Amino acid sequence: MDEKMPGAISMVRRRCGRSVPYPPRGLTGALTIASKEGSELLMNQRGLLWLLVTCLVLSAFALLLVSDTELGLLDNAQVVYDMVGLVISLGALLTLVVGADAIGGEQDRGSLVPLLLAPLPRSALLLGKLGGQLVAWTAMLIIALPYLWAVGSTGQNLAAGIACLILLGTPIVLMFGCLGLALGAKFLSARSALTVGLVVLILAASPAMLGPGLRQTAIGVAVDWVNPFSAILNAVDAVVIDSEPALTQTTPFAVAFAWLLLALWYARRTVSRLTGSPQ
Amino acid sequence: MAEGTVSAFLGGPQQILVELRSVEAWRSGIKILGDVCLTVGAGEIYGLVGPNGAGKTTTLAVVVGLLAPSAGSARVFGLDPVRQAEAVRAQVGVMPERGGFYDWMTASQYLRFFAGLYGSECPPMEISERLAQVGLSSHRDLPIETFSHGMRQRLGLARALIGNPELLVLDEPTSGLDPRGRREIHELLLTLSHKCRIGVLMSTHILDDAERLCDRIGIIASGVTVAEGAVPELANMGRDLEAPDQARGDRYRLRLGDREVERASQRLPTGVSLLHREVDWCTVAVAAEYSPEVVWRELMFLGWPIREIQRLDTSSVKSGLERLYLELTKDTEQQQAA
Amino acid sequence: MSVVSIAAAFLLAAGLSGGSASAAAAEPLKIELIPSPSNPSAPRIGDALMFRSVIRNDGQKAISGVIAWVSLLEVDPGKEHPVDLEDWSAQKAVVLAQIASGQTAETKWHLRLIQSGKYWISVVAASTADAVDRISGPVASPSVAFTVASKPVVETGRVLPIASGVPLAIGALLLWRGARGRRRRPTPKDAGG
Repeated sequence: MDEKMPGAISMVRRRCGRSVPYPPRGLTGALTIASKEGSELLMNQRGLLWLLVTCLVLSAFALLLVSDTELGLLDNAQVVYDMVGLVISLGALLTLVVGADAIGGEQDRGSLVPLLLAPLPRSALLLGKLGGQLVAWTAMLIIALPYLWAVGSTGQNLAAGIACLILLGTPIVLMFGCLGLALGAKFLSARSALTVGLVVLILAASPAMLGPGLRQTAIGVAVDWVNPFSAILNAVDAVVIDSEPALTQTTPFAVAFAWLLLALWYARRTVSRLTGSPQ
Repeated sequence: MAEGTVSAFLGGPQQILVELRSVEAWRSGIKILGDVCLTVGAGEIYGLVGPNGAGKTTTLAVVVGLLAPSAGSARVFGLDPVRQAEAVRAQVGVMPERGGFYDWMTASQYLRFFAGLYGSECPPMEISERLAQVGLSSHRDLPIETFSHGMRQRLGLARALIGNPELLVLDEPTSGLDPRGRREIHELLLTLSHKCRIGVLMSTHILDDAERLCDRIGIIASGVTVAEGAVPELANMGRDLEAPDQARGDRYRLRLGDREVERASQRLPTGVSLLHREVDWCTVAVAAEYSPEVVWRELMFLGWPIREIQRLDTSSVKSGLERLYLELTKDTEQQQAA
Repeated sequence: MSVVSIAAAFLLAAGLSGGSASAAAAEPLKIELIPSPSNPSAPRIGDALMFRSVIRNDGQKAISGVIAWVSLLEVDPGKEHPVDLEDWSAQKAVVLAQIASGQTAETKWHLRLIQSGKYWISVVAASTADAVDRISGPVASPSVAFTVASKPVVETGRVLPIASGVPLAIGALLLWRGARGRRRRPTPKDAGG
């Protein structure tokens, strides 16, 4: 008899000549789900299409640098900064879409309920879905590396730029992934989750487009401090363009990490209440 | 249990897998279940039947822990299905009515994924066995997107069997299947239940399936269990509801004008029995010694505004169970029609 | 010589000596700009240069509140203009609290070469003198000339293969997956429920 199993029924029993195991721990289940999510992205045509779109955007940007003489005179650091910002933005968009589809899309397709009925804690389900997003982001990083090398290897601060992309970009990207998951769980619809998520993404990214004058006002400075995109891009600017040491960028990293924790908390809250139908 | 509910129990000791007592449940601010009671024992097939919107799927959701009851008690394997959800779900295989699949996977990949979630010891062997059980061995490496509805139903059943569950909860398991497919599912469920002692709780609106498969049936209407018991006992009760001798004979379904049934049914000629009333339709029995054509003329003379006449196949209608079902659920159907 | 003319001459001399005094107040600051020996002999875009300035107080009194800054001038024919140092240097100005008489203050200036062209660089200093509203200076160092050679910021030979190769690789993978899926689809006789 399996001593670990509470309740009235023994977990080790023989029926039809076979013993029955105890269900896996949450981590094993999470890894199973993450593996499935990663396979869906990398081996499925829909997922590959997303990666192809990412490649095309990066290629267009890189070719723009080559074809336009004026842009061709940009400093390497500026080029690296621009491309790092572009990859982070695309990564946030990709994980938002993947996250919204991970639960909202599964609900639309009817495949969520069997998943909810597996003997796994909801936290394992969330962890597995996040693992899938990590696979998506890793794929994007791998695709972006040759582009960064191509446009930035002749200059300086390329290694610093790549380090920023990984260390500072990952919290932001996963934050939007968590947001997609949370919205998908709340609305039980990929379309609704994506609509709201895109609005949030645009609002979060828009302060980064403000001119230097507006960003130096009191409100602009405050926004720069709390807005995750602004914080990260300012840090990349400092490291890549102004050649400041990466270790001095602890405050932007803390801001990004705090937003990630908030999004994770919200995702956990909504996923834990999932029943497969509106409540 | 609601007033007037009929209940009968199997004799002898039996391990109770599922027990719902006076369960009440709400969804989106609407009370779906008012008073649901059922018990499912090991090795028996329990059929939950009722009209659309009666609360069958919601009842199953309570059993598998997706919905917490607001009143009453729900126990599965003696455990609370909400608070001890993981322990319960480890023992339960579920086949929802609207089951989606990962169309990009093959059947074997799909089952391997769920085998990983259920901690199967030997996924390849178990997967082969499950696919063979549901008749999909030859399709194991085909993408699910190419599967027909019937094949998806079978795959859903195979998924429910992953992890060797003690209890199967099936929502309309034969929905959309052709007669051969239904028969194969029936045989599989009977084998699982009687040989492997798996309890089966299935919802269905096909009374034939319920009569053929189930050891016990619960009839639910408007979120309330209105009858529960062994199939033979419920069928006997239904036969007792049968109208006197005049009700025997050929049966016809008549469509009258909008809301004319109530008024018309007060004038019945000799040889005609009114069996069932709906909003625009009614079912009548015409005694064998009367010619139907004569009867129609007489009805029209009495003012019946007959618009359409359908002759019902007497061989498929009115088993005792069906009569009981129709009688107990007619209020629900009238409300829906209104 | 009349009294008026003597007085006028005296006043004129006083005025001249006042101007000379002003010049004498600015003159105590001497600035020398020395390029670092490690600077590349033929700098290109992206290189970094380092200069060392030495500000010396040749006056009798200490000079306080000295502000020193870099002045960069592009001198390419037809494009002469002062250069905005926004991206060239993180050091905008240096404030020296006080330079005692006869003492020097050294400052290092780092410059990143953003654009090609011919440039003159000098360090300029000004100081607040005894009176708040009198500012002495500015005093400039002799200019140091340097030429920044151009360099392709983005090498076509690297970008084109990546920009075309990576999408092609992903596209090929996409097509392969699609073809594999079509091969796995059953023939009509295999399908069915």
